[in-house]
Amino acid sequence: MAELGWGRRYLMCPPQHFGVLYEINPWMHREVAVVADRAAEQWHGLRAALEAAGAEVVTMDPHPEVPDLVFTANAGIVDRDRFVPSHFRHPQRQPETEIDAAWFATRGFTVARLPAEIRQEGAGDALPFTPKDGPTVLLAGYSFRSDATAATELSRLLDAVVRPVQLVDERLYHLDLTFCPLDERRAICAPSGWDAYGRKVVEALVPEPLWLTDEEALAFCANSVVVGTTVVMPSTPPRVGRQLEAWGFDVVESRVDEFLKAGGGCRCLTLALDVALS
Amino acid sequence: MATETIELRGHIVDSLLLAKVLDAIVDAGVDYEITTFDLGRRAVDPSRAVIELDGDPEVVAGLVDDLQVHGANRLDAGTARLVAADRDGVLPAGFYSTTNLDTEVFVDGAWLAVENPEMDCGIVVAGGRARTVPVHRIRAGDPVVVGSDGVRVHAPPRRRGSSVFEFMNSDVSSEKPKALLVAHVADRIRAARERGGRILAVCGPAVVHTGGAPDLARLVDAGWVDVLFAGNGFATHDIESNVLGTSLGVSVAEGTPTEGGHSNHLRVINEVRRHGSIAAAVAAGYLGGGVMAACVRRGVPFVLGGSIRDDGPLPDVLTDTAAAADAMRAQVPGVAVALMLASTLHAIATGNCLPAGVETFCVDINQAVVTKLADRGSHQALGIVTDVGPFLGDLAEHLLGDR
Repeated sequence: MAELGWGRRYLMCPPQHFGVLYEINPWMHREVAVVADRAAEQWHGLRAALEAAGAEVVTMDPHPEVPDLVFTANAGIVDRDRFVPSHFRHPQRQPETEIDAAWFATRGFTVARLPAEIRQEGAGDALPFTPKDGPTVLLAGYSFRSDATAATELSRLLDAVVRPVQLVDERLYHLDLTFCPLDERRAICAPSGWDAYGRKVVEALVPEPLWLTDEEALAFCANSVVVGTTVVMPSTPPRVGRQLEAWGFDVVESRVDEFLKAGGGCRCLTLALDVALS
Repeated sequence: MATETIELRGHIVDSLLLAKVLDAIVDAGVDYEITTFDLGRRAVDPSRAVIELDGDPEVVAGLVDDLQVHGANRLDAGTARLVAADRDGVLPAGFYSTTNLDTEVFVDGAWLAVENPEMDCGIVVAGGRARTVPVHRIRAGDPVVVGSDGVRVHAPPRRRGSSVFEFMNSDVSSEKPKALLVAHVADRIRAARERGGRILAVCGPAVVHTGGAPDLARLVDAGWVDVLFAGNGFATHDIESNVLGTSLGVSVAEGTPTEGGHSNHLRVINEVRRHGSIAAAVAAGYLGGGVMAACVRRGVPFVLGGSIRDDGPLPDVLTDTAAAADAMRAQVPGVAVALMLASTLHAIATGNCLPAGVETFCVDINQAVVTKLADRGSHQALGIVTDVGPFLGDLAEHLLGDR
């Protein structure tokens, strides 16, 4: 089994200021309070699980006015030493862009910007898959948070193959709730999140998809982090766990229920820093 | 026929975006021609397609809006062409005929929102404003938009999540649980009210015949109705039932015909005509209860539109239908929810002058009314096929919480 070429170095942001302060996806309900201690415990648990699997974790400082900064997957898109910061759809998250851009700029990344009118929510809506005999394809979700035209701009900025896929279930509002690359043949896939064309695109790209049922997808199974042969998942239905183990993966469950209250799982809390699209 | 040109760029072949866009065009019944197609040489190279669309202007406009979601951009929308109307009450030939959707026109280098979306009108652009104007109100010299260049139409956002429109994703509800529907309608009314929206009730005579009028009157009294549209029949039977206890001669309490009852409605029309208006009849103590009296007491504006078969009619009825439609239009701004209550003609007349964004609930025992509204382009109309009397009782219970 050829492991993913990326996923050994992650950016995370401690949940000091995390909370459900507004409602911008169907999971968020302001009346459901986040238990701060438990959130911190779960975040540290995830970090420990990633480190135990052999990943390096670097952190950025949290900011009190942007609670969702904790979801670093949405900071932007990393390609070697280039960083494309997100353009958030909701005004509540827009202040995150400059915080993220500054963090990457001060660490030597070249910051490449999308045109101002285009919305794109980072790795949350763009994940690379590298098939055995082909170029890396950046699968890009669009409709709820990111624009279809972002795919064209990303391919221009990054000189990469980008395939837009339409997301159709508001509960699975980012691509990373529907797609998790595992290696050069396999990925966890939630087909109910895509339109018929999107399903065909993924079928053509991924030789051995692990298809999730609706229920498994809504348990955020695809919002997992892969470190080598370890899959760190927010929940592991037995069927999914057995399949992953049969393929030779170690499955680690890392409960992040407090973050599910804001519609984010393990993947949402991390941003891979070692991605190379070409 | 309208022609629009759209452009699609990027990795549109492997992502099946081009296929998806072409499928959507074919599904919409629109003709297309790919006038330019540059295929990227390598996997990382973008491709570019320029597609010319040809079809019914409204369909093409909606299609272009839908395709924007998939990254297809309109190439040069052009500038709206304005032609001065040459006489009163007549639009220039080739005028742009409106939809009830949010519309913008491109004039003097900027998009201008059309102020009062209404279907089947012209667009007059003057003094830095664009507004819909029905044909009879056009005055000679009005600058009217001609052709579809520089006009764009925005499809209403698809309602998702737990809204009643999601819950009811079929248009008509004869096989849906009514109790749940009524609760949703009540929720939508409350939500509209919280946003400061007005509630419009459009009533047919069956509201009275089926015993729903007392509940509607309670809703009016409690301030849940901000404006009411009806015809001579509804108002007459509402008054008849309160003054004489019958609706079209049938006892509202017992459901049986009363002696000489067939003339009851004429007698109350005659008496109200003697008083000069419904308000005067209320002031004089002739009329004490019912929906119309509640409107008078609460100062809820009502528009009664006449028709050729009206008896009387009541003095408040506007017998000039163009004037009645104008009076209805004047009440439309601010309306967020429209309840079409067992009314076919007034519901359709109202649907014609409502912007697409108004949530419209069409309650009728006859599915055809709902279908007719939807066919005429009132896409926001949700049909509830049920008896209006019990519906109003349930709605009053939800909103007043007292039964």
